[in-house]
Amino acid sequence: MIHVRHLSHSFGPYWALKDCTFSLEKGDFVFLSGPSGAGKTTLLRLLHGSLSIQRGEVRMADIDVKRLTRQQIPSLRRQVGVVFQDFKILPLRTVQQNIALPLDIRGLAPQHIERRVRAVARALGLDGRLSVRCGELSGGEQQRVAIARAFVVNPQVLLADEPTGNLDPELSLRLVELFKQFQAYGATVLFATHSIDLMRRHPGAHIMRLEQGMITNANWPGAHIFRRPDAMPVRPGASNADDVRADEAEHDRRDGRDRS
Amino acid sequence: MKRILLRLFLQGIRDFGINPWAQASTLAAVTLVCFLSGLFLMALVTLNQQLGMVRGEISFQVYWHRGTDISQIREQWQGYAHIPGFLGVKTFTPEEALEELGKRLGRTSGSLEKEFPFLAEKSPLPATALISFAPNNRNLERWISETTLFLESQPGVSRVVATPLQDELGRAWRKVSKYVMWPSISFLTLTLGLLVGNTIRLSQMARSHETEILQLVGAFNWYIRTPLIINGATLSLSGGLLALGLLFLVHMQVHDVLNFPPLLMEIQFLPWQLMLALLLAPTCMGIAASWLAVRGQ
Repeated sequence: MIHVRHLSHSFGPYWALKDCTFSLEKGDFVFLSGPSGAGKTTLLRLLHGSLSIQRGEVRMADIDVKRLTRQQIPSLRRQVGVVFQDFKILPLRTVQQNIALPLDIRGLAPQHIERRVRAVARALGLDGRLSVRCGELSGGEQQRVAIARAFVVNPQVLLADEPTGNLDPELSLRLVELFKQFQAYGATVLFATHSIDLMRRHPGAHIMRLEQGMITNANWPGAHIFRRPDAMPVRPGASNADDVRADEAEHDRRDGRDRS
Repeated sequence: MKRILLRLFLQGIRDFGINPWAQASTLAAVTLVCFLSGLFLMALVTLNQQLGMVRGEISFQVYWHRGTDISQIREQWQGYAHIPGFLGVKTFTPEEALEELGKRLGRTSGSLEKEFPFLAEKSPLPATALISFAPNNRNLERWISETTLFLESQPGVSRVVATPLQDELGRAWRKVSKYVMWPSISFLTLTLGLLVGNTIRLSQMARSHETEILQLVGAFNWYIRTPLIINGATLSLSGGLLALGLLFLVHMQVHDVLNFPPLLMEIQFLPWQLMLALLLAPTCMGIAASWLAVRGQ
């Protein structure tokens, strides 16, 4: 579903991504972790066509992203649901209008749009807030609106950039469960997060760690790990989530970060 | 598809609410440009009609000395019909000239004399006649000169002015058109395009957040650009409509101001083809300017 080979991207002299290679199949769920500035958002933007690919290859849902022209990018984006770190919602429009945006641009019938919007809003606990303007919502509610907008089109691929950043732990867990439900329907999910607690609560999930633009740890064979001299060694046989989580915790301890 | 287009059209109309002052200023500017162009076209239509009426005609305005015997003048008026190429004559005795002047000044018949009693005794204006000819003569200048001399030689004639209207008007019109009018209209049209384009750019900037989100959820460029282009087209069309309304009001006030001797020129309103052009030209310009403004996003 997502095949990335030797993907690199620079902003001027600074390399935000270096030689990343990994594959996700249909129905995979991967936590993308790593410190701020590790390249998580850059990777998601490249997958979504928001940044042009400088080096390497990306195939999403059988689409060669590198070959897409500017006019063809919207076709890719219609198959990918994205939840952004900064929500990207319209504050002057209502919750209903914001969630319905991807359906509106497809020209679907109003009854169908309303039915879909109500279903997704109910799942995210927004059904009582549909007529409220998004600017009047709390940060957590705005985040849920952004998530609902990504869910509403039943995308083949879901990319989430820190979607739990503004949510309390309980809601974060519920949210991951929702993403998992989408995964169960065959959607491929790439979920960027800082929260080690979230990853700990989902044993068996794929985890991929990015550091300084490189994949430094992963617990499934589809990812090619970039080894550097000072990187934490991946212990022999480290193929399950617990091992990677242990490595994550060790990294955090070493970097002096608290990421509960 | 129809539903999407209708929604985008309505969105374009609603966009008038974005930067209302900029939109209002642009609307005023578009109206002004269309109004000035409309005035020019009205002048063109009126002059063309006059040229059509007097094509091949030479007119002479003849003035007699005040106090000349009117019966002698009337005899001369009747004699003009025998001059080769004679078309017609419009005559005014001193009293008729005074009455016509009174009408031009908005007075009813005889009220001028009541207001100024000395006018009742004797009109201070001379008798005058506007004689039209269609000369069949290759050497037109010579013919004009000879006819002028002949008319001046008539008893009591004080002054003769030859007015070869068709040539003079045609030549003057061509010069004015060539050096002033069309360059002015071209400049105004370019200004209109820049104004509309800039206003649409402002709307685009005001909607940049929405545009970014629409792009991220997979909206095609035409979906994002259509409301902006419709906004530009509607702005220009509204300017054209307002200008037509203003032109109609102006025409109601001025259509008779030149309708007095010797001009007798009635100002014509625009025919429907030109009215349509006055609406379509700015609309097309608005669409083109808006498209240029948004295509780089």
